[in-house]
Amino acid sequence: MKFQRLPPTLRERKRYLVFEVRSEWRGEREVEKREVLREIWNSVYSLHGEVGASESNIWLINYAAGVGILRCAHNRVEEVRAALACVHSLNDAAKVGIRVLGVSGTIKGAKRLAHLSISM
Amino acid sequence: MLDFFDLSLHLRPRPETETESSAEELIKTAKRFGYAGVAVTNHNDYAEIGAGAGESSNFAYKGIEIRADSVAVLKRKIKIHYGRVAVLAVHGGDEKINEAALQDYRVDILAHPCGEFGRGKGKGRGKGKGRGKGKGGGLNHVLVRYAAENGVALDFNMNAIIQSRGRGERARVLRKMRENLKLVRKYDALPVLTSHAETVYDLRAPREMVALAGLFGMTREEAVRALSEVPRGILEKRWKRWKKGREVEVL
Repeated sequence: MKFQRLPPTLRERKRYLVFEVRSEWRGEREVEKREVLREIWNSVYSLHGEVGASESNIWLINYAAGVGILRCAHNRVEEVRAALACVHSLNDAAKVGIRVLGVSGTIKGAKRLAHLSISM
Repeated sequence: MLDFFDLSLHLRPRPETETESSAEELIKTAKRFGYAGVAVTNHNDYAEIGAGAGESSNFAYKGIEIRADSVAVLKRKIKIHYGRVAVLAVHGGDEKINEAALQDYRVDILAHPCGEFGRGKGKGRGKGKGRGKGKGGGLNHVLVRYAAENGVALDFNMNAIIQSRGRGERARVLRKMRENLKLVRKYDALPVLTSHAETVYDLRAPREMVALAGLFGMTREEAVRALSEVPRGILEKRWKRWKKGREVEVL
Protein backbone atom coordinates (compact mmCIF):
# COMPACT_ATOMS: atom_id res chain seq x y z
CA MET A 1 0.00 0.00 0.00
CA LYS A 2 1.16 3.45 -0.78
CA PHE A 3 2.16 5.58 2.19
CA GLN A 4 -0.77 7.77 3.07
CA ARG A 5 -0.38 11.18 4.61
CA LEU A 6 -2.41 11.82 7.72
CA PRO A 7 -5.46 13.82 6.72
CA PRO A 8 -5.33 17.39 8.00
CA THR A 9 -8.24 16.86 10.36
CA LEU A 10 -6.35 14.13 12.19
CA ARG A 11 -3.09 15.94 12.54
CA GLU A 12 -2.00 17.36 15.85
CA ARG A 13 -2.60 21.05 16.22
CA LYS A 14 0.56 23.05 16.47
CA ARG A 15 1.93 26.45 17.21
CA TYR A 16 5.19 27.87 15.99
CA LEU A 17 7.18 30.04 18.35
CA VAL A 18 9.61 32.47 16.84
CA PHE A 19 12.40 33.15 19.28
CA GLU A 20 15.52 35.20 19.48
CA VAL A 21 18.72 34.14 21.23
CA ARG A 22 21.05 36.68 22.77
CA SER A 23 24.30 35.43 24.15
CA GLU A 24 27.42 36.81 25.70
CA TRP A 25 29.27 35.59 22.67
CA ARG A 26 27.59 38.19 20.53
CA GLY A 27 30.16 39.51 18.13
CA GLU A 28 32.66 36.76 18.93
CA ARG A 29 30.91 33.78 17.50
CA GLU A 30 27.47 32.62 16.47
CA VAL A 31 25.51 30.30 18.67
CA GLU A 32 25.12 26.99 16.89
CA LYS A 33 21.85 25.24 16.29
CA ARG A 34 23.06 22.17 18.12
CA GLU A 35 23.81 24.16 21.27
CA VAL A 36 20.48 25.97 21.26
CA LEU A 37 18.62 22.73 20.76
CA ARG A 38 20.44 21.07 23.62
CA GLU A 39 19.75 23.90 26.04
CA ILE A 40 16.08 24.00 25.07
CA TRP A 41 15.70 20.26 25.58
CA ASN A 42 17.53 20.38 28.91
CA SER A 43 15.31 23.17 30.04
CA VAL A 44 12.09 21.44 28.96
CA TYR A 45 13.17 18.22 30.62
CA SER A 46 14.13 19.79 33.90
CA LEU A 47 11.02 21.93 34.01
CA HIS A 48 8.27 19.62 32.72
CA GLY A 49 9.89 16.20 32.71
CA GLU A 50 9.67 13.57 30.02
CA VAL A 51 5.90 13.39 30.08
CA GLY A 52 5.59 17.14 29.70
CA ALA A 53 8.14 17.12 26.93
CA SER A 54 6.26 14.43 25.04
CA GLU A 55 3.00 16.33 25.37
CA SER A 56 4.65 19.52 24.17
CA ASN A 57 5.63 17.92 20.86
CA ILE A 58 8.70 20.09 20.51
CA TRP A 59 10.64 20.32 17.28
CA LEU A 60 13.14 22.90 16.18
CA ILE A 61 12.04 23.81 12.66
CA ASN A 62 14.68 26.28 11.81
CA TYR A 63 17.48 28.19 13.43
CA ALA A 64 19.82 30.69 11.90
CA ALA A 65 21.57 33.84 12.97
CA GLY A 66 20.11 34.00 16.44
CA VAL A 67 16.49 33.59 15.38
CA GLY A 68 14.71 30.26 15.43
CA ILE A 69 11.33 28.68 14.95
CA LEU A 70 10.20 26.08 17.43
CA ARG A 71 7.16 23.89 16.98
CA CYS A 72 5.00 22.90 19.93
CA ALA A 73 1.52 21.63 20.67
CA HIS A 74 -1.15 24.29 20.42
CA ASN A 75 -2.17 23.99 24.05
CA ARG A 76 1.35 23.99 25.47
CA VAL A 77 2.52 27.39 24.35
CA GLU A 78 2.78 28.91 27.81
CA GLU A 79 4.64 25.90 29.20
CA VAL A 80 7.13 25.98 26.35
CA ARG A 81 7.47 29.73 26.72
CA ALA A 82 8.36 29.24 30.37
CA ALA A 83 10.89 26.58 29.44
CA LEU A 84 12.48 28.90 26.90
CA ALA A 85 12.62 31.66 29.48
CA CYS A 86 14.45 29.28 31.81
CA VAL A 87 17.36 28.84 29.44
CA HIS A 88 20.11 30.85 31.04
CA SER A 89 23.46 29.58 29.89
CA LEU A 90 25.13 27.84 27.00
CA ASN A 91 27.45 24.96 27.85
CA ASP A 92 27.60 26.43 31.35
CA ALA A 93 29.89 29.03 29.88
CA ALA A 94 28.10 31.95 28.29
CA LYS A 95 25.08 33.67 29.67
CA VAL A 96 22.16 33.60 27.33
CA GLY A 97 18.62 34.87 27.16
CA ILE A 98 15.82 33.69 24.91
CA ARG A 99 12.94 35.92 24.05
CA VAL A 100 9.84 34.83 22.19
CA LEU A 101 9.15 37.25 19.36
CA GLY A 102 5.79 35.85 18.39
CA VAL A 103 3.60 32.82 17.99
CA SER A 104 2.00 31.65 14.80
CA GLY A 105 -0.19 28.79 13.69
CA THR A 106 1.66 28.17 10.46
CA ILE A 107 5.27 27.90 9.44
CA LYS A 108 4.61 30.54 6.83
CA GLY A 109 3.41 33.00 9.42
CA ALA A 110 6.30 32.15 11.70
CA LYS A 111 8.78 32.79 8.91
CA ARG A 112 7.22 36.13 8.22
CA LEU A 113 7.62 37.05 11.89
CA ALA A 114 11.23 35.90 11.82
CA HIS A 115 12.01 37.93 8.70
CA LEU A 116 10.36 40.98 10.18
CA SER A 117 12.47 40.75 13.30
CA ILE A 118 15.71 40.17 11.42
CA SER A 119 15.21 43.08 9.11
CA MET A 120 14.48 45.33 12.07
CA MET B 1 -1.37 47.43 25.45
CA LEU B 2 -0.77 47.30 29.15
CA ASP B 3 2.14 49.04 30.74
CA PHE B 4 4.60 46.62 32.24
CA PHE B 5 7.20 47.52 34.80
CA ASP B 6 10.23 45.81 36.20
CA LEU B 7 11.28 47.38 39.44
CA SER B 8 14.40 45.47 40.21
CA LEU B 9 17.26 46.01 37.83
CA HIS B 10 20.70 45.84 39.36
CA LEU B 11 23.46 47.64 37.62
CA ARG B 12 26.69 45.98 38.44
CA PRO B 13 29.91 47.81 38.93
CA ARG B 14 31.54 47.40 35.58
CA PRO B 15 35.02 46.00 35.17
CA GLU B 16 37.31 48.41 33.34
CA THR B 17 37.21 46.27 30.21
CA GLU B 18 33.66 47.25 29.41
CA THR B 19 32.96 50.90 29.67
CA GLU B 20 29.64 52.68 30.04
CA SER B 21 27.30 50.69 27.77
CA SER B 22 26.16 47.88 30.05
CA ALA B 23 23.79 49.96 32.13
CA GLU B 24 22.40 51.80 29.17
CA GLU B 25 22.13 48.60 27.23
CA LEU B 26 20.11 46.97 29.96
CA ILE B 27 17.70 49.85 30.04
CA LYS B 28 17.49 49.99 26.27
CA THR B 29 16.80 46.28 26.11
CA ALA B 30 14.04 46.61 28.67
CA LYS B 31 12.46 49.23 26.48
CA ARG B 32 12.72 47.02 23.46
CA PHE B 33 11.17 44.12 25.35
CA GLY B 34 8.08 46.23 25.85
CA TYR B 35 8.44 47.50 29.37
CA ALA B 36 6.91 50.87 30.07
CA GLY B 37 9.33 51.57 32.88
CA VAL B 38 12.04 50.09 35.02
CA ALA B 39 13.50 50.94 38.37
CA VAL B 40 17.15 50.52 39.14
CA THR B 41 17.39 49.19 42.65
CA ASN B 42 21.02 48.64 43.37
CA HIS B 43 22.04 47.35 46.72
CA ASN B 44 22.91 50.21 49.00
CA ASP B 45 26.57 49.24 49.06
CA TYR B 46 26.60 49.84 45.30
CA ALA B 47 24.36 52.85 45.36
CA GLU B 48 26.77 55.22 43.74
CA ILE B 49 27.23 53.06 40.67
CA GLY B 50 23.73 53.50 39.42
CA ALA B 51 23.86 57.17 40.17
CA GLY B 52 24.53 58.15 36.59
CA ALA B 53 22.31 55.76 34.72
CA GLY B 54 19.86 55.39 37.55
CA GLU B 55 18.80 58.99 37.48
CA SER B 56 15.03 59.11 37.57
CA SER B 57 13.61 59.68 34.14
CA ASN B 58 10.37 58.86 32.44
CA PHE B 59 11.54 55.36 31.83
CA ALA B 60 14.19 54.45 34.36
CA TYR B 61 13.33 55.28 37.93
CA LYS B 62 15.83 55.53 40.68
CA GLY B 63 15.48 53.06 43.47
CA ILE B 64 17.45 51.28 46.09
CA GLU B 65 17.52 47.86 47.64
CA ILE B 66 18.59 48.14 51.23
CA ARG B 67 20.72 45.37 52.54
CA ALA B 68 21.15 45.34 56.29
CA ASP B 69 22.38 42.88 58.86
CA SER B 70 20.29 44.08 61.72
CA VAL B 71 16.97 45.78 62.28
CA ALA B 72 18.61 48.89 63.73
CA VAL B 73 20.80 49.31 60.66
CA LEU B 74 17.81 48.70 58.42
CA LYS B 75 15.75 51.38 60.11
CA ARG B 76 18.57 53.85 59.90
CA LYS B 77 19.08 53.19 56.21
CA ILE B 78 15.38 53.44 55.45
CA LYS B 79 15.36 56.80 57.17
CA ILE B 80 18.26 57.98 55.04
CA HIS B 81 16.79 56.91 51.72
CA TYR B 82 13.07 57.39 52.26
CA GLY B 83 11.70 60.12 50.08
CA ARG B 84 14.81 60.30 47.93
CA VAL B 85 14.09 57.33 45.71
CA ALA B 86 11.11 56.27 43.63
CA VAL B 87 11.33 52.68 44.84
CA LEU B 88 12.58 51.64 48.23
CA ALA B 89 13.15 47.91 48.41
CA VAL B 90 14.54 45.82 51.22
CA HIS B 91 16.78 42.84 50.68
CA GLY B 92 14.79 40.14 52.44
CA GLY B 93 15.57 36.64 53.52
CA ASP B 94 16.27 36.94 57.18
CA GLU B 95 13.17 36.60 59.31
CA LYS B 96 13.94 39.60 61.53
CA ILE B 97 14.65 41.81 58.55
CA ASN B 98 11.48 40.64 56.80
CA GLU B 99 9.39 41.43 59.82
CA ALA B 100 10.88 44.87 60.31
CA ALA B 101 10.53 45.71 56.63
CA LEU B 102 6.92 44.61 56.38
CA GLN B 103 5.94 46.59 59.44
CA ASP B 104 7.41 49.73 57.98
CA TYR B 105 5.06 51.69 55.75
CA ARG B 106 7.99 53.49 54.15
CA VAL B 107 9.14 50.33 52.41
CA ASP B 108 7.78 49.72 48.91
CA ILE B 109 8.97 46.22 48.13
CA LEU B 110 10.34 43.34 50.13
CA ALA B 111 12.67 41.68 47.67
CA HIS B 112 12.99 37.89 47.66
CA PRO B 113 11.42 37.29 51.09
CA CYS B 114 12.79 33.75 51.14
CA GLY B 115 16.34 34.63 50.32
CA GLU B 116 17.72 35.21 46.89
CA PHE B 117 17.49 31.57 45.91
CA GLY B 118 14.78 29.99 47.95
CA ARG B 119 17.05 29.32 50.84
CA GLY B 120 20.54 28.12 51.45
CA LYS B 121 22.74 28.21 48.37
CA GLY B 122 23.96 31.73 48.45
CA LYS B 123 25.04 33.62 45.43
CA GLY B 124 28.68 34.49 44.96
CA ARG B 125 28.28 38.17 45.63
CA GLY B 126 26.74 38.00 49.09
CA LYS B 127 28.78 38.44 52.18
CA GLY B 128 26.00 38.68 54.73
CA LYS B 129 23.97 36.11 52.90
CA GLY B 130 21.69 35.22 55.81
CA ARG B 131 23.73 32.08 55.91
CA GLY B 132 23.08 29.91 58.90
CA LYS B 133 20.46 32.26 60.22
CA GLY B 134 17.33 30.33 61.02
CA LYS B 135 16.05 27.75 58.61
CA GLY B 136 13.39 28.84 56.23
CA GLY B 137 13.07 32.45 57.07
CA GLY B 138 10.56 33.59 54.54
CA LEU B 139 7.00 34.53 55.17
CA ASN B 140 4.16 33.43 57.32
CA HIS B 141 0.56 34.48 57.75
CA VAL B 142 1.41 37.19 60.26
CA LEU B 143 4.05 38.80 58.10
CA VAL B 144 1.91 38.77 54.99
CA ARG B 145 -0.86 40.46 56.90
CA TYR B 146 1.55 43.21 57.88
CA ALA B 147 2.51 43.50 54.24
CA ALA B 148 -1.09 43.96 53.20
CA GLU B 149 -1.73 46.54 55.90
CA ASN B 150 1.34 48.60 55.18
CA GLY B 151 1.17 48.38 51.43
CA VAL B 152 4.51 46.65 51.12
CA ALA B 153 4.64 44.62 47.93
CA LEU B 154 6.04 41.11 48.06
CA ASP B 155 8.51 40.27 45.39
CA PHE B 156 8.46 37.10 43.33
CA ASN B 157 11.92 36.83 41.91
CA MET B 158 11.74 35.16 38.51
CA ASN B 159 15.49 35.11 38.30
CA ALA B 160 15.53 32.51 41.06
CA ILE B 161 13.48 30.20 38.85
CA ILE B 162 15.57 30.90 35.79
CA GLN B 163 18.98 30.56 37.37
CA SER B 164 18.36 27.65 39.68
CA ARG B 165 20.25 24.56 38.75
CA GLY B 166 20.91 21.22 40.27
CA ARG B 167 18.50 18.66 41.53
CA GLY B 168 15.42 19.89 43.24
CA GLU B 169 16.56 23.43 43.65
CA ARG B 170 14.05 24.82 41.23
CA ALA B 171 11.39 22.63 42.77
CA ARG B 172 12.17 24.14 46.15
CA VAL B 173 12.05 27.68 44.83
CA LEU B 174 8.71 27.04 43.14
CA ARG B 175 7.38 25.40 46.27
CA LYS B 176 8.24 28.48 48.34
CA MET B 177 6.61 30.75 45.80
CA ARG B 178 3.50 28.62 45.81
CA GLU B 179 3.27 28.98 49.58
CA ASN B 180 3.83 32.70 49.38
CA LEU B 181 1.23 33.03 46.66
CA LYS B 182 -1.31 31.26 48.81
CA LEU B 183 -0.72 33.72 51.63
CA VAL B 184 -0.78 36.66 49.26
CA ARG B 185 -4.17 35.58 47.95
CA LYS B 186 -5.56 35.02 51.39
CA TYR B 187 -4.58 38.41 52.80
CA ASP B 188 -4.88 40.31 49.55
CA ALA B 189 -1.29 41.49 49.71
CA LEU B 190 0.52 42.98 46.73
CA PRO B 191 2.55 40.60 44.62
CA VAL B 192 5.10 41.97 42.19
CA LEU B 193 7.06 40.08 39.55
CA THR B 194 10.66 41.08 39.17
CA SER B 195 13.68 39.92 37.25
CA HIS B 196 16.55 41.17 39.41
CA ALA B 197 18.45 41.36 36.17
CA GLU B 198 22.07 42.38 36.26
CA THR B 199 22.76 41.91 32.58
CA VAL B 200 20.65 41.90 29.44
CA TYR B 201 20.75 38.12 29.49
CA ASP B 202 18.91 37.96 32.80
CA LEU B 203 16.11 40.12 31.53
CA ARG B 204 12.94 38.47 30.27
CA ALA B 205 10.12 40.00 28.27
CA PRO B 206 6.78 40.57 30.05
CA ARG B 207 5.04 37.62 28.42
CA GLU B 208 7.84 35.32 29.46
CA MET B 209 7.53 36.61 33.00
CA VAL B 210 3.84 35.78 32.95
CA ALA B 211 4.59 32.28 31.67
CA LEU B 212 7.16 31.79 34.42
CA ALA B 213 4.69 32.96 37.03
CA GLY B 214 2.30 30.33 35.72
CA LEU B 215 4.78 27.70 36.84
CA PHE B 216 3.93 28.25 40.48
CA GLY B 217 0.23 28.60 39.96
CA MET B 218 -0.27 32.28 39.30
CA THR B 219 -3.10 32.84 36.91
CA ARG B 220 -2.59 35.01 33.88
CA GLU B 221 -4.65 37.85 35.31
CA GLU B 222 -2.77 37.82 38.60
CA ALA B 223 0.58 37.77 36.85
CA VAL B 224 -0.34 40.63 34.55
CA ARG B 225 -1.50 42.65 37.52
CA ALA B 226 1.72 41.88 39.37
CA LEU B 227 3.66 43.16 36.40
CA SER B 228 1.64 46.24 35.54
CA GLU B 229 -0.89 47.60 37.98
CA VAL B 230 0.97 46.82 41.19
CA PRO B 231 4.34 48.26 40.17
CA ARG B 232 2.65 51.32 38.71
CA GLY B 233 0.88 51.78 42.01
CA ILE B 234 4.20 51.47 43.79
CA LEU B 235 5.71 54.22 41.70
CA GLU B 236 2.69 56.40 42.37
CA LYS B 237 2.62 55.36 46.03
CA ARG B 238 -0.98 54.40 45.49
CA TRP B 239 -0.92 51.54 47.97
CA LYS B 240 0.18 53.63 50.89
CA ARG B 241 -2.29 54.26 53.62
CA TRP B 242 -1.41 57.90 54.20
CA LYS B 243 -2.56 58.61 50.69
CA LYS B 244 -5.87 56.91 51.33
CA GLY B 245 -6.21 58.84 54.56
CA ARG B 246 -5.65 62.09 52.77
CA GLU B 247 -8.32 61.31 50.23
CA VAL B 248 -10.76 60.63 53.00
CA GLU B 249 -9.98 63.99 54.56
CA VAL B 250 -10.63 65.79 51.31
CA LEU B 251 -14.04 64.25 51.05
